[in-house]
Amino acid sequence: MTKKGFAPRELIGENRPTLWMAPLLAVVTLFYLYPAFEVLRFSVTNSSLLQANYEYTLRTYAQVLGDPVLYKVIRTTAIFVLASVVLQLALGLLIAVAANRARRRRLPGIVFMRSVILSAWVMPGVVIGIVWAIVLNEASYGLINLVLSAVGIGGVAWLSNPNTALLSIIIANVWRGTAFSMILQYAGLQSIPDELYEAAEVDGANALQTFWHITIPQLRPILMINIILITISTLNTFDMILPLTGGGPGQATEVLSLRTYNVIFGQFSLAGGAVLAVIMLAISLVITLFYRRLLRSEGVV
Amino acid sequence: MRSRTAQRRVGDALTYLVFAAALVFFGGPLLWVLSLSIRTQQEVFITSLRVIPESPTLENYVEVLYSAQFSVFLINSLKLSVAGSVGAILVAAPAAYAFSRLDFRGNSALLISVLALQMISELVIAIPLYRYFARLNVLDSHFSTAMVYIAILVPLATWMLKGFFDGIPPALDEAAMVDGCTRFGAFRRIVLPLILPGLTSVFVLTAILAWGQFIVPYILLSEPSLLPISVGILNFQGNYASTSPNVVAAGGILAMLPAIATFVILQRFIVRALTSGAIKG
Repeated sequence: MTKKGFAPRELIGENRPTLWMAPLLAVVTLFYLYPAFEVLRFSVTNSSLLQANYEYTLRTYAQVLGDPVLYKVIRTTAIFVLASVVLQLALGLLIAVAANRARRRRLPGIVFMRSVILSAWVMPGVVIGIVWAIVLNEASYGLINLVLSAVGIGGVAWLSNPNTALLSIIIANVWRGTAFSMILQYAGLQSIPDELYEAAEVDGANALQTFWHITIPQLRPILMINIILITISTLNTFDMILPLTGGGPGQATEVLSLRTYNVIFGQFSLAGGAVLAVIMLAISLVITLFYRRLLRSEGVV
Repeated sequence: MRSRTAQRRVGDALTYLVFAAALVFFGGPLLWVLSLSIRTQQEVFITSLRVIPESPTLENYVEVLYSAQFSVFLINSLKLSVAGSVGAILVAAPAAYAFSRLDFRGNSALLISVLALQMISELVIAIPLYRYFARLNVLDSHFSTAMVYIAILVPLATWMLKGFFDGIPPALDEAAMVDGCTRFGAFRRIVLPLILPGLTSVFVLTAILAWGQFIVPYILLSEPSLLPISVGILNFQGNYASTSPNVVAAGGILAMLPAIATFVILQRFIVRALTSGAIKG
């Protein structure tokens, strides 16, 4: 009567993963694997949004890779990502260390401060762009220029000068993302055993030594995961940039993801956009491989 | 002894200095946008750092809600966020349970692959779907857009839920199964109720992420009456920014309010959700 060892039952029994995983695998196939395959396929065509017909060719790759604009966009993206990551990490850590100190000393105000910082993180990216378009505005209601003129510095062209425009989107992105780093670092700091600090105190270590020799090494796994996650999210950012600078002035703030969008929906070149999307996929893949190695080596999975 | 007390005082002062600087940097812009949103047209273009205007008004909010379709945008966002989060949890929960409980070949490799999906930009997903949906004639549909929301939220939901399932001892499901429950029955009646706080965390976090989702609706929806707030407010800014930044500010406040309110009320759940994935053991 028993059907032990009967293959189909083994495959779909409730102690086998198949049925449990089926909805997830369906979603992944339809909305990740299929689109990724399509992006690869379109990248080797000359397809356009305006025409139904296309043929296979490698010429689109040659065109996109031979276009000097690509290298300008990659440079802008690299500066944007690097500056954002460094600043978010440093600022997040600084605030987390202060919050952790306040926690150990039972000082009030942590929750209020955390609420304000996280408010910047929970709002939609487009709204963040709108907030900073107001704050950095060069008209009379721009907050930053009002503050600067109060201390005697003349109006800065935050959004209309190519160099400051790049700085502006970095500031807005740091405003957005610092909360995430702060939360991770704060949780990480709380998990460092108190005994380590007590031992350091007994040994007569000063605050700076304690920070370098205990806090930083203990936080290392979380710092690494933090770096990878914020690199990815900054790389994929373009919602915040649209209302703030729209990629301009000129192409000064046109990052890779925004460029991809513009090539497809502005120039209607599906193939050209697909090539850029393949570049984005390749970058994500490299970062993911790092992440995987990291998770394995830290024993998370 | 004395010098240690003095040192602590200096430390406390520095702590609050960091807090104060953080409040100015993060809270200042919000306060300023709030201030602009209650100014009359006459007070917008005056050069002054005054935060509370001379004659505060709520007219900008009325303008936004009635003439700019904002109420429609907000309802659309609510629909898409709830559908996306609930759908993502329905898809992710059984898979996360299997990842947590079942011993099968490739378990951890598959789990890492699911996590890696999060690294793919929504843009890469939305581009081919745009063409695909156009051919199936399902562009400009909340249903098909919500499916994509679900897909985007699923990796995070799976990862987080797996962590919460791991926190429940497997002996509980096994005891239920000895008592005659099927594994699915144990999952539904024993384990799921136990991770209710975890489910809430996942729901709140994914709903907030869905509320801010931009690229997918920007590409897949164009009919103004279907747009969520994140896309609707961009068109709105284009129309009003040069002449009435006070109205734009009111729109911005309305668009951020639901996310901030949800977060402030439920922040314990969110902070736990955020840290559960990255920090373990």
